[in-house]
Amino acid sequence: MSRRDLDRKVLAWLGEGVDAPRDDTRFETLALELFAYQYAHNPAYQRLCRAFRVRPEDVARWQDIPAVPTGAFKEARLAAFPEAQEVRIFRTSGSTTAARGQLHLDTLELYQASLLATFAAYICPDRKRIRFVVLAPSAANAPDSSLSYMFEVACRELGSARSAFYVEPQGWEPERLIADLRELDEPIALVGTAFAFVHLLDALEARGLRLGLPDGTRVMETGGFKGRSREVTRGELHGAITAALGVSASRIVNQYGLCELGSQFYEPTLRTGVPTRSKRVPPWVRTRVVDPVSMKDVATGERGLLVHYDLVNTGSVLAVQTSDLGRVTQAGLEILGRLEAAETRGCSIAADALLAGP
Amino acid sequence: MSALEGLREAHHKLEPAAVIDALDRVLATWRAPTSVWRTKLQHEHGIYSSQVLELGTAEALRDWTGEALRRMRARELREPCRVPPVTAVWLAGSIPSAAFHAILLPLVAGSAVYVKPSSQDPLSARLFAESLRAQDPTLGAAVVVGNDPTLLESADAVVAHGADETIAAIRARVPPQRVFVGHGHKLSLAAVGPAVEIDTAAQAVAIDIALYDGRGCLSPAYVGVVDRPAGRAAAFGRALADELEQLASKLPRGPLLTSEEAALHEMRARAAVREGVRLELPEHGSEWTVILEPAGSRPAPGWLRCLPLVPLFDACELEDWCRRLAPHLSSLGHMGWGRQELLSAVQLGGGSRACTLGRMHFPPIDWNHDGISPIRSLLRLIDAESP
Repeated sequence: MSRRDLDRKVLAWLGEGVDAPRDDTRFETLALELFAYQYAHNPAYQRLCRAFRVRPEDVARWQDIPAVPTGAFKEARLAAFPEAQEVRIFRTSGSTTAARGQLHLDTLELYQASLLATFAAYICPDRKRIRFVVLAPSAANAPDSSLSYMFEVACRELGSARSAFYVEPQGWEPERLIADLRELDEPIALVGTAFAFVHLLDALEARGLRLGLPDGTRVMETGGFKGRSREVTRGELHGAITAALGVSASRIVNQYGLCELGSQFYEPTLRTGVPTRSKRVPPWVRTRVVDPVSMKDVATGERGLLVHYDLVNTGSVLAVQTSDLGRVTQAGLEILGRLEAAETRGCSIAADALLAGP
Repeated sequence: MSALEGLREAHHKLEPAAVIDALDRVLATWRAPTSVWRTKLQHEHGIYSSQVLELGTAEALRDWTGEALRRMRARELREPCRVPPVTAVWLAGSIPSAAFHAILLPLVAGSAVYVKPSSQDPLSARLFAESLRAQDPTLGAAVVVGNDPTLLESADAVVAHGADETIAAIRARVPPQRVFVGHGHKLSLAAVGPAVEIDTAAQAVAIDIALYDGRGCLSPAYVGVVDRPAGRAAAFGRALADELEQLASKLPRGPLLTSEEAALHEMRARAAVREGVRLELPEHGSEWTVILEPAGSRPAPGWLRCLPLVPLFDACELEDWCRRLAPHLSSLGHMGWGRQELLSAVQLGGGSRACTLGRMHFPPIDWNHDGISPIRSLLRLIDAESP
């Protein structure tokens, strides 16, 4: 099957939206076709499959498609197309010196279709357009940020003309943001990184301010905090957002995504009106929860390591193993943190310490 | 009576010759074929397989005799000096013989010892102290195992093991006029030169890799192999894989934590996707991995029997490797090189030991760990000038 045909089939599914049936046969057929394609056209992925002695002809179930740990995206170009066809590279956040994971894209069509399908369904289920207030840099200022790209597309396709980004290359502007929030005369979608929300809350507190954002406002936050702000639990963050901005818990959504994945996962709070910690897995994605030692599936509802199979990743690898812990229940996917990095139980110097240099 | 007061009192009762005689007897009980101490260690340690602990401990202690201790003492205390009455030893890591060695050296000097065991391996220090008490109550009273950080300030000398940050934090607590010896975390390198049969070298390197599962600072974190004629490094990789497979049953790896298993899985995958890398893997499981790197690559150090094998062109490239590891190199295990080449490589890496492959985990009792003399480093030498 050609890449064009694969893309067309995936796009067709994306076009059916998040309420399309979770058709397991359809998923398995497409996943196996995609695996065969990626094995043949993605040299780095083929090296991994060969090293672990897996060939497409030996794989009959999507669950047996070899997954690539996110760390491997830092080591090699995991792309199923030549470099000359590249239109975009998304990179994981990190310091400028450390290696960063990269998602190579030769088309943004699928990425955009996927993000719009989920973003529209879970952030704007009640409106065609809304004013976005974005606590993140624009795509022009952060061209390798998948999150900025997502917000850029959301603003363009779902946002009103007054939508704006409030984080500049030199930092963010609390005065401008707070002034704009105080003068709002319409509901907004206040979206951004979790650590940016912490900074906003700190800025409001420092000024002794509490705002009451207009009815219909919704908040979407995503990502972690490490090294970017003080760390708070998700519950604390949402509580503080409610207290400082006047947005109720039933209008706050957490999004889970990875740079290495074309699809994102959202809490369905704005659709159901009920706050939840469980996220919806899009119909074109499957998530396995595995035992980190045996890599076998754990029982439903048990905690384990998350491995995502995302059909949107046609140009890279569809099976991505994360370091995230979670569980899947009837309600959806619950994120339970990250697997702790292994510490050296010995006196040998750790790789990080060595590679960091003197 | 506080631990410090008890140790000061015990120090006064230590008589060097009697200490060495008692240590000789204690070490003999550890070396005995039916040693209850070794049995306890194997049952309770938890990080390593009993086979690894058996071989590692038996071989390490083989030459730790009273005669060796006397020789070391005579060599190290040949001048008038002041011995610290109490030495605080802060342990790290999980290798039993390293803990024994760290406790034993101050005793040979005549110092009483306060030991803070490693958090990863609280057993080794405790068992060794128990074995001292069981053999000789006077000697036993000169060793206290505890976790009181004020000893860092009150002991007469401090020997600390651990990560560089830990060493720096401990050093900051030790008063400036006191003796301080720090041993930071290090790594070692196995180097296979041109003048050795690859099967012989592979057999020896496999032992160094299997012992202590790559967790020790004497464990090879890389294997460098001279790749002339071309393909020799790959052939060595296959030979090493065969040896590691055999050792998987003879010297099985210890149980891994979930985070370690996940880290290992990621380490292998990260290697597998890179161009020019070839992996040698067991049929099932993750017991061992040989990562044959392309020439010129600079991989992360190996761990848990997952080792990068780097082709080397010649001794100059070995020197480059060692220079890159500076100042973290500890030991250079070798076969098939000239002596001068090795010394130069060790020096460039900031290392302090060159040893034959297969013996990387077994330095002699009087080795200059990190280039620091084993006992003299604890002493204050006295210059008695002639009138």
